[in-house]
Amino acid sequence: MAETYTSDFGTILLFLIGSVIFVMLGLFTAKLIRPHRPNPEKLTTYESGEEPIGNAWVQFNPRFYVVALIFIIFDVELAFLFPWATVFGRRELIEATNGAWGWFSLIEMFIFIGILILGLAYAWAKGHLDWIKPKPILPQSRSGIPPDVYRQFNARQEAKREA
Amino acid sequence: MTSIILLSIFGIINLFVGFMKSKRILLPLSLLFLAVVFGANLFSWNEAQSYFNHMLTIDNYAVAFTGIMVLATLLLLPFSQHYIEEANENLAEFYSLLLFSLVGAIMMVSYENMLMLFIGIEILSIAMYVLAGSDKRRLRSNEAALKYFLMGAFFTGVLLFGIVLIYGATGSFYLTDIAATAAVNDGTVNAMFTLGLLLLVIGISFKISAAPFHFWAPDVYEGTPTLFTSYMSTVVKIAGVAAFYKLMAAAFAASYAAWFPTLIAITVLTLVVGNIGAVVQTNFKRMLAYSSVSHAGYLLMALVAFNERSDASILFYSLSYALATIVAFAVLQYVSEQRNGDETYAAFNGLGKTNPLLAFAMTVAMCSLSGIPLTAGFFGKLFVFTAVVQDARLMWLVVVAVLMAAVGIYYYFKVVIAMYMQPAADAAKIRIGSFASFMLIFITVFTILLGIAPALVSDLL
Repeated sequence: MAETYTSDFGTILLFLIGSVIFVMLGLFTAKLIRPHRPNPEKLTTYESGEEPIGNAWVQFNPRFYVVALIFIIFDVELAFLFPWATVFGRRELIEATNGAWGWFSLIEMFIFIGILILGLAYAWAKGHLDWIKPKPILPQSRSGIPPDVYRQFNARQEAKREA
Repeated sequence: MTSIILLSIFGIINLFVGFMKSKRILLPLSLLFLAVVFGANLFSWNEAQSYFNHMLTIDNYAVAFTGIMVLATLLLLPFSQHYIEEANENLAEFYSLLLFSLVGAIMMVSYENMLMLFIGIEILSIAMYVLAGSDKRRLRSNEAALKYFLMGAFFTGVLLFGIVLIYGATGSFYLTDIAATAAVNDGTVNAMFTLGLLLLVIGISFKISAAPFHFWAPDVYEGTPTLFTSYMSTVVKIAGVAAFYKLMAAAFAASYAAWFPTLIAITVLTLVVGNIGAVVQTNFKRMLAYSSVSHAGYLLMALVAFNERSDASILFYSLSYALATIVAFAVLQYVSEQRNGDETYAAFNGLGKTNPLLAFAMTVAMCSLSGIPLTAGFFGKLFVFTAVVQDARLMWLVVVAVLMAAVGIYYYFKVVIAMYMQPAADAAKIRIGSFASFMLIFITVFTILLGIAPALVSDLL
């Protein structure tokens, strides 16, 4: 028998295939068992008991774009923090250098985070983090007629109606 | 390394100085920063040092090209006058982005590891994508940014694919290791290596706008605001060619037979397309874009020749080309702005009478670009042709290049004719600040000086 071995990636592939089969089995069994009697009321979109109005495809608000952009930057910074954390607290390294390793790597990481904090401070000061509030445009009309005239006219009309 | 660190810190400082109400300090401050970086760079001359486990090496080659790129940025910044005059609120960001982009350019000329080349290209390009689209009101600028970004991202993908294939074939990202593996295997390790090499060549040829990967250049150069076009046309191209030469010389010297045919074809195509394309242009900015494509061809000639004179000739040609291009774009900036945004040759009519200084500077720049003696461009072309002539098989390439240079004289002198022989449509003098005029005179004098005594720069490498 030829010697075969599955590497760790093989195990992951088996897991992937197994999970797909498991989910498909569940869905397929449900489809077999359940009744299929659709009517228009059942087919409407669920909206917590309310009647759905209009299309579900609303326009995505671009204000979220800035939030997502800043998030991705700090998420990548976080990803860089993880490997640093694995070497930062190593007991052998700290003992071998008499504590200098701990201080050195800490200061390095502070410089790294400091540069990114400068970027955050810049974005903050520039107002990129403010939530843009919609400014409703109130309709303005400019007429040369003073408001007193309207009051007098309305009073006269009311007097006429009473009479 | 000091130049990289200094430029990054100065870029950040610039961003925060932009919060002040008065923007008048930004230009002198940025010029001061660049001067400090230029000086700090010179300290690394003849003191080669490696950083980050030999990923970045600041040797004489890197110092020389860094110096030229910092000098080019220093010389083109004073022409940002109209941004200062109209109190553009993003002025600090523009200067900072240029400084950050310069960091990427410096990384591109001092790398020893392919990953550093990729990082350098990305830092350089992403800042330029933003600057290309910085004029949000003009549709052309948006078009330029979109085209530059999409095509740049795509070709960076191609470059990465090439790097990955080379890694797969040789097992290392370091240029020296790749060279060792290639030398052991007599030039090409396997088909994966050759394919990776080809993709690398394609990826970098896009960056320097070599044909047939030059199609983005005319639209992007035309749409970008002229100040950033001059940066794109000088620093980005110099960084690309220097990175290309370093790649070929340090990693693929043994594989010469593998990349030589491709690169010769690219060079000839670039020379022909660049020059013939520029002939039919009516827009001066677009003509300069095609001419920069042709200059990439001349630089590639020196690369293809691949002897010990190549790097010195690339260095000198880069400097002469940068000086002339900065002047051309600067004069174009002033003329097109104050003549209703007209960028055709007709905008230059009569400039000889209304602004003799601008016309003279432009004439010297055009002479330098076409290779007329007594200007730096002549010696640039002479050094490149001398380097190519060393190899007897490449004589035909020199013939093609000389023919194309003759074609070049036609379209470079179209604007000279318009300036001196056409009557002015609008007799108003072009307003130009005293500092900008001083810089124009300085660059013109420097060009002529290099045209008389080229040994100042050509003996450096």
